[in-house]
Amino acid sequence: MRRVLAIAGNTFRETIRDRVLAVIVLFALSMIVASLWLASISLGQQGRMMKDFGLVAVSLFGLIVAVFVAASLVHKEVEKRTVFVLFSKPVGRTQFIWGKFLGLAATMLAVMAGMGLFLFVVDWFVAGHPSGWLPVAVGLIYLQLLTIMAVTILFSTVASAILASVLGICVFVAGQLSHNVLSLTGLGHGAVLRGLSWVVFVLVPNLSAVDIKASVVGEGAPDWSQVGLWGGYLAAYIVAVLVLASVIFRRKEF
Amino acid sequence: MTNVTDHGDRPVALKVAGLRKTVHSGFRRRSREILRGVDLEVREGDVFGLLGPNGAGKTTTVKVVLGLMRPTAGTVELNVEGLGEVGYMPENPYFYDYLTGREFLLFCARLFAIEAHERRRRVDGLLSDVGLEAAGGTQLRKYSKGMLQRIGIAQALVNDPKLVLLDEPMTGLDPLGRVEVKHIIEALRRRGKTVLFNSHILADVAELCSRIAIMDRGQVVWQGAVQDALADADGDLEAFFVRTVGK
Amino acid sequence: MRRRASVVLLLLLCAAVIVAFQVTRSAKAGSPARVFVPAPKFFLDLSPSYRTSVADVYWLYAIQYYGQHVRGDQRFDSLPAMLDLITQLSPGFKQAYLFGAFALIDARRPDLSYALLERGFHNNPQDWRFPAYLGFFAYTYARGNHKDLVAAQWYAKAAAVPGRPAYVPRLAATLIAKGGQRAKAMILWAQIYATGDTYSEQKAVSALDQLLPAGKQARMQAVASLQGTMSPAQFNDLIAALFQGYR
Repeated sequence: MRRVLAIAGNTFRETIRDRVLAVIVLFALSMIVASLWLASISLGQQGRMMKDFGLVAVSLFGLIVAVFVAASLVHKEVEKRTVFVLFSKPVGRTQFIWGKFLGLAATMLAVMAGMGLFLFVVDWFVAGHPSGWLPVAVGLIYLQLLTIMAVTILFSTVASAILASVLGICVFVAGQLSHNVLSLTGLGHGAVLRGLSWVVFVLVPNLSAVDIKASVVGEGAPDWSQVGLWGGYLAAYIVAVLVLASVIFRRKEF
Repeated sequence: MTNVTDHGDRPVALKVAGLRKTVHSGFRRRSREILRGVDLEVREGDVFGLLGPNGAGKTTTVKVVLGLMRPTAGTVELNVEGLGEVGYMPENPYFYDYLTGREFLLFCARLFAIEAHERRRRVDGLLSDVGLEAAGGTQLRKYSKGMLQRIGIAQALVNDPKLVLLDEPMTGLDPLGRVEVKHIIEALRRRGKTVLFNSHILADVAELCSRIAIMDRGQVVWQGAVQDALADADGDLEAFFVRTVGK
Repeated sequence: MRRRASVVLLLLLCAAVIVAFQVTRSAKAGSPARVFVPAPKFFLDLSPSYRTSVADVYWLYAIQYYGQHVRGDQRFDSLPAMLDLITQLSPGFKQAYLFGAFALIDARRPDLSYALLERGFHNNPQDWRFPAYLGFFAYTYARGNHKDLVAAQWYAKAAAVPGRPAYVPRLAATLIAKGGQRAKAMILWAQIYATGDTYSEQKAVSALDQLLPAGKQARMQAVASLQGTMSPAQFNDLIAALFQGYR
């Protein structure tokens, strides 16, 4: 565990200092400020627009950070041969994967907390009252992005950084559509298609199940017990994906 | 120069026997045998030079010894208690851009689960040993190649290892840097450490090593004391090397 | 130097072309009354997480569209489709129904306006403004003998919604008591003003401005009769708005 934490701390330090990260976050903050302008032409719907577009900005820019950092993280270590240094020391491959994930999760936490706090304050200013659900929504987006990070790390153990990022983004999109695949399973055009739909539905993480953006903008209260259950599901999904990544990484030669 | 030749009763530090490695590459998984039965024996206290032309299998041998690659056949015996007593510097070391030299060494020390106080003491000592006290607070992306090489050696020594493996430690260094690295290796020998390094620079090998092995096309073609090699070729290691590899 | 000058010149030239194209083309393009609006089903089949965001984008689009045409050709061919899309993707978007109801009147589709409000009330039964608006729309824009009765029924429903202001039941009663059409209409507009919705307020102020007598004294008296339909603060704001041109 000490080694996992050492790698996590190192990863956090390495990624948080990357200037690309700062640029993306600055861009996200300017997008939130741009939502202010959109809100101003919304005929009295400033609060709603601010929350909605602000959360979209947070999730999309968070996705960019998560995918690109996660994709390059493992791959860069192999490419630049820093893994030689690590694995010639008493560090296990599984410890490496978990350390990388935890470090990146800490970086993402800082990024999301920064963007979330900024959005919260701007929204408070615009709407005139604080929205308690806004931080919860950002937290749930963070959970979605943790899932995507784990998946991207898995991809990056077998594919190049670019391919891993593209696949990571694809899984995010598919995760938003996943409920739809389920409706495909009901269409019943042959057992093969139905079986295939089921496989896709089970494999793709159901991210939209923990999204409460609609509730934040005023579409009724979320079903917290459902959100909680699906949150547990995503946690299990993350663990499963990382275990798989460790198994693959263990077999790898450098 | 004080080349130690009699190693007869010193215990074995590293023994490699019948090592074979086949890799598969490309879309059709074409196989290629990089190591074709490597036998090596390094005794404790040796400064051991692993020589050979490019593609002879030197780096692969070291990687297999460290467990970075799995052998197809053969055995590796290390007379140490796990990787905790081994230090390794890869060829052309490249580390984390955004860490400072000191942070990087502290990180490496943490991987050996060294206590915080001891960690700081050792890192300070190592930074001064490799002449990087002043650059300890600079991020690694601003290091020159020679500085990276030196921080690479420092990280290999952070656990005070019994066995040190250095892959091309002199390559890319200016004459001054080479002298410094030589001093470090000599200091290690004086402290009774076992050092194994790959090199192309035969003059350095002749100066530093007690024993050498020459590899060619995945096999060890000659192994023995440097003095024997020198004696065999009138003090010209280069001539001996060319003759041995050309066989 | 000459090279730099030509680069700057080229840059300026390109910038001029870009700006010229944007300005002239966009101006010429104008804004057609009939635009493509995707079917709600398309977005409903997509991610549930981003439905409200799509609704909000179309909300911004719809009010731009409305604004352009209300000052221009008074054609709103695509407005019904937009409002349908917005309210299907975000059934809790109350403002969209309330704004849409008035905008559809401008589009000369009171039937759609009424249907939109009915759907709004169905999706948001906790909001008294929907039945109140429905009562108003029934009274103002419907035809036939029963329209007073229909309006009264809607107001009764509004009065039954928890959280409705105290004047809603009073209003229903007053409506029945008052005889003249003009007085009734004024009270209803005042009630629309009282809903506190920005857009409705504007509509109500301009309607009341038309209905009220022009003379200051007579206007004062007529406005005083509306005092019971809203909160004192709102009433003060209304007076300020209605007497803007008076000294």
